[in-house]
Amino acid sequence: MPATLSPSEAPPVTATGGGDFVTLPPSQEGDWHNPSGDPVVQRYKLGVWIGMGGILMFFAALTSAMIVRQGLSGDWVPVAVPPVLYVSTLVLLVSSFTVERARREAVAGNSAGLRRWMNASAGVGLAFLAGQLLGWQELAERGLYVASNPANSFYYVLTAGHGLHLLGGIAVMGYVWVRIRAGKPWPTRLAVVEATALYWHFLDVLWIYILGLLVFWR
Amino acid sequence: MTEVQPSKEVAEYTEVHRHPEPKSFLWKYIFSVDHKVIGIQYMLLAVVAVFVGMALSLLVRLRLVCPECSYPLLGTFFPVGAPEGVMTPEFYLAMLTMHGTVMVFMVLTTAPQGGFGNYFLPIQIGAADMAFPRLNMLSFWTTFVSFLLLMAAFVVEGGAPMSGWTGYPPLSALPEATVQGIGQDLWLASIAVFCIASLLGALNFIVTTLDLRAKGLTMMRMPLTCWTWFVTAILGLLAFGVLLAAGVLLLMDRNVGTSFFVPAGLVVSDKVIDHSGGSPILWQHLFWFFGHPEVYIAILPGMGVTSHVLSTFARKTVFGYRAMVYAIAAIGGLGFVVWGHHMFVSGMSPYSAFVFSVLTMCIGVPSAIKTFNWIGTMWGGKIRFTSPMLYSIGFVSLFVSGGLSGIFLGQPTVDLYFHDTYFVVAHFHLIMGVAAIFGMFAGMTFWFPKMFGRMMNEPLSKIHFWITFVGVYAIFGPMHYLGMLPHPRRYAEITGVDYLAANGAAELQMFVTVAAVLTVLAQFIFLYNFVKSIFAGKECREENPWEATTLEWAIPSPPPHDNFAGKVPHVYRGAYDFSLKGAKRDFAMQCNDDKAVFGEPATQASGD
Repeated sequence: MPATLSPSEAPPVTATGGGDFVTLPPSQEGDWHNPSGDPVVQRYKLGVWIGMGGILMFFAALTSAMIVRQGLSGDWVPVAVPPVLYVSTLVLLVSSFTVERARREAVAGNSAGLRRWMNASAGVGLAFLAGQLLGWQELAERGLYVASNPANSFYYVLTAGHGLHLLGGIAVMGYVWVRIRAGKPWPTRLAVVEATALYWHFLDVLWIYILGLLVFWR
Repeated sequence: MTEVQPSKEVAEYTEVHRHPEPKSFLWKYIFSVDHKVIGIQYMLLAVVAVFVGMALSLLVRLRLVCPECSYPLLGTFFPVGAPEGVMTPEFYLAMLTMHGTVMVFMVLTTAPQGGFGNYFLPIQIGAADMAFPRLNMLSFWTTFVSFLLLMAAFVVEGGAPMSGWTGYPPLSALPEATVQGIGQDLWLASIAVFCIASLLGALNFIVTTLDLRAKGLTMMRMPLTCWTWFVTAILGLLAFGVLLAAGVLLLMDRNVGTSFFVPAGLVVSDKVIDHSGGSPILWQHLFWFFGHPEVYIAILPGMGVTSHVLSTFARKTVFGYRAMVYAIAAIGGLGFVVWGHHMFVSGMSPYSAFVFSVLTMCIGVPSAIKTFNWIGTMWGGKIRFTSPMLYSIGFVSLFVSGGLSGIFLGQPTVDLYFHDTYFVVAHFHLIMGVAAIFGMFAGMTFWFPKMFGRMMNEPLSKIHFWITFVGVYAIFGPMHYLGMLPHPRRYAEITGVDYLAANGAAELQMFVTVAAVLTVLAQFIFLYNFVKSIFAGKECREENPWEATTLEWAIPSPPPHDNFAGKVPHVYRGAYDFSLKGAKRDFAMQCNDDKAVFGEPATQASGD
């Protein structure tokens, strides 16, 4: 019994997306999931949206642990949030604007502009992290180390967890910079930039949440 | 069924796999981004891990039946854990811990999803690769690092951890509580790295399923294997982040002196511990919020393979395809709200226990739907008793046997009696351990000709099936009785307990140990068959030896580097169109349109 069809019976073949190596403009690629818009950009952004689910569960677990731990025993001493955090929050909000600007330059196909605004974003992101370190330093000067008190422990874990995710974003920005400097064709550039921008905005909102938790759930 | 025909412009363009096939050994077989190579890497990792895990279980069994026996070779490798070859009780606990950890993480989590899922998800949905091939490679190598970290725990000073695969504090949180050095830290680091690898993998599976399906392959036409890989990935995405958070906190408790999980005033070795106010129960909640979905991460892909294989070899469509999909989703969803049933003995409020109990019973509904539909699929079918079919029927049997004891354990009042006994050991091994393993056997024998272009030896597979099938019941069946005595679990040895002696517990333990040794030996039949068949099995260049319907059977065996030779198939029908009335053959492949199946004119609409 023939297992497969002879060529004359074979159904018509159509093209859809492949791996992350698809380079054709959407009009030719014929992605039936995303008739409008660049399918590679869509795929990368979908990856970030899904990834947010995992990251959110990580911080949800820490949040629930924090709330439970606070109610467990009388050793919880609320920690006053260092004022520098408000400054770094503003800095991070600014970086969302610079990232958005970088994204628009990428959409317009402007390499120089993209590189400039991406670098600016990375710089502002590093400034935010410096602010976080200053916050840690201030706590240490108050004698509040990671094990001094469960409230401090959560302060350090939450800020460090967010900071590490932000460092990942900055690493990708560095990667963008290197690739643009290399000057070779880079078909997935827009997808990478779009995904980075989405991820960055997410970290921005996540930080607002963490700050709210630290300020209001003491 | 109406399908939009592709425009001429699109039809003429065929996708080209932009990664050229690598030629050097390093890039082709080691740091490959090809999902098929990565799938096999996961499988090989799991094969190594499963033999490590089985060896550990044998040590556990040997210590149970003969505490004073000496095994000189063991003394050479573990001079502290087994001085002069005699295993210490601490060594027993360490072997128990590592057996559970290796089996749950490195075998049950990696092989069904990372192995088979990686290899066949893209092919079954008509894609050239996963959505993010480099991320896929990163997932595997991160998993490999995790495995190395775990194995390193054997050789460091103090040896492997002994707090169980669940890592319960305060035992796991206090270096003072055991004689251990950094074994527990390595264990925690391994688990944390494993979480990251699994999260990346889950992300990749979800995007691949949502975004790379071939034209015409709607979600409700996907093979059930793809559905289970998809739902498993969602479970992994939502569960591993929680375990990662818990693992980070526990590492801090151990090394930085925080008090997340260690209570105040704890006295260890006549010394008051310098921690305050934490709660071991907090760890249990975080752990089991991951741990229960993890059970389904292990078993769901086996369910998918079983549905797939039963339908193929009964020559019937899956009975109640839609119900199967909804049941998979329901099991996945309910899996997140029943974690408390692992903690009935933790002293939780009876009201909480009641809620968790009712929710747990609810899982019986989709589970029963699946079982009913498996039987319905076979009912009246023209069954071909191939080895994958036998393993799948074995899966159904083990799933039912393990599931029935789950109904007992889901009752808080009954669980209080059974929880720390062998009854629970019997339950979870049947349903989560060997049922999932039978799913893997089914998958391996079923897809072997596709992966390697050769057949596995059928008689050897069948011999292996029968020995293993009888063997696992001989091992875990008597444990139910032991649990009812009740014989407590986790103890290296129990002496001077009258009710155990009077009821023949020691003899039964010996019986179980003998059965375990024989069953483990039988696994070498499978290993021999597997390795020999790769190189010298009966050649099978036929694309579709099983006369199956899904897309992987429409391409050469083994598949070329880019799966569909730069093209993507068009899917016209559901995944299980067998024995259609008026069709030219007794099956219709997903890429066959009505004209190809029925000839002119089309006489019957296909099932969806």
